[in-house]
Amino acid sequence: MFPSGRRLDRATALFISLLAVGFLIATFDVRSSEASATTVLRTGALTLVAPAQGAIDYVVRPVVGFVDGISNIAGLRDQNERLAAEVSRLEDQLRETSALERRVAELEAINDLAPPEDLAAVTARIYSAGPSTFDQVRFINKGSSDGIVVGQAVIDENGLVGRIDLATGSSARVRLITDPLVSVGVRIQDTNQTGFVTGRGDELLRLDMFDASEPVLEGAVAVTDGSRFPPGIVVGFVTETKAAEVDFTLRTTVDPATAFAELDFVKVIVGWSPLDADPETGNRLIDPPSFTDPGSNRQ
Amino acid sequence: MTSGKIIISLGFVIAAVLIQTTAFEYIRPFDLAPALGMLAMIAVARYLDAEQAILVAFTGGFLQDLLGGAPLGLWAITFTIVAFVTVKVRAREVSGPPAVLIGVFGLTVMGQLTYVILGTLFGQGFINRPGVAWHVLVPAVYNVILAYPVFWLTKVTVRPQERSRIG
Repeated sequence: MFPSGRRLDRATALFISLLAVGFLIATFDVRSSEASATTVLRTGALTLVAPAQGAIDYVVRPVVGFVDGISNIAGLRDQNERLAAEVSRLEDQLRETSALERRVAELEAINDLAPPEDLAAVTARIYSAGPSTFDQVRFINKGSSDGIVVGQAVIDENGLVGRIDLATGSSARVRLITDPLVSVGVRIQDTNQTGFVTGRGDELLRLDMFDASEPVLEGAVAVTDGSRFPPGIVVGFVTETKAAEVDFTLRTTVDPATAFAELDFVKVIVGWSPLDADPETGNRLIDPPSFTDPGSNRQ
Repeated sequence: MTSGKIIISLGFVIAAVLIQTTAFEYIRPFDLAPALGMLAMIAVARYLDAEQAILVAFTGGFLQDLLGGAPLGLWAITFTIVAFVTVKVRAREVSGPPAVLIGVFGLTVMGQLTYVILGTLFGQGFINRPGVAWHVLVPAVYNVILAYPVFWLTKVTVRPQERSRIG
């Protein structure tokens, strides 16, 4: 590339200079805090491109839906029959569940353990993903003007999705729990023992428990322990039974409750802060501020 | 017309990055998407001067960084390296559809690998992620599939600017 006795051409010099600039920016970004110049840059870029991304999303979504619909039409009849049978089964189950729900509500009232559904939340729609398959992030169409701030939990109807890690006035970035940089404190519902799950990209989440005295069984439900996220949100289901060995961490895998490939609408819990939680139990120490969902009427 | 060509090329790369972050959120065969921004950058680099190609690549990569979740600068470095190599390869007068498709595949794999290595160096642990080879290879295959329409679009948008400059 650099024959002896020949000066660098301008393109090569520019190439080397820009590589150096790139490394400097990356180093600065890695070492800077959350309120740094790079965050301002990201927020600004997000604000600028969000309308364009929204427009593309508006055009693309129905087209993809139409193509999906056509490709699924063959399976619709079978699905319809299956669904009819399932509806009948679920109606029976619902009658039993109603009775159980009343009992659970009574128990929760006794334990002063408010379910996540009671917390103030803002409904948002996902309009964009990260630019590469390595990015475990999604962008939502609600931001700080709707009460969203960095750190808040994001959930869908199945369970925990991730947390807000960047917010502009009208949009925000959600870092998914599948991101290897994200760890979530969890409690296994059956045994009440705690540990944490870590993202592994497209693979199952990894569950680590340091002082588990009982085995963790396949199918056991892992819920948030209330340390960084509101307590009681389903994170996933244990996929492999494991027992703790002496002096070793219990390690197994958890299948996330949320289907990340099918995410569309999510809720951001704005009525809870880790500072509100009792570090021992995860229960709220103070009531969350009353907050009405400003976006509930405009989807 | 030089600035016009740069602006059109940059617009082309930016549009590709925006499509990448929206359309390919839904269209993800095998849960993986093409590296459309990189493909657009390779396509425009064929028609730009070396310095212009490197500048457009850095800017486009930086925008992709701003919309991603990894540290800023990683895509900018990656795009710059891919643009530089594209310019060098282009000068070797390799032509014909098979050579172009092999080139797109090779350049995309190189770009993805560079990003994985940079991400690992900057604490993202990409190289330890399960299925990292798929994340490198499959987008390159998708890019080969998309190469023809993207190259055609570049030909009708960026190349006329080149002609008018020569003329």
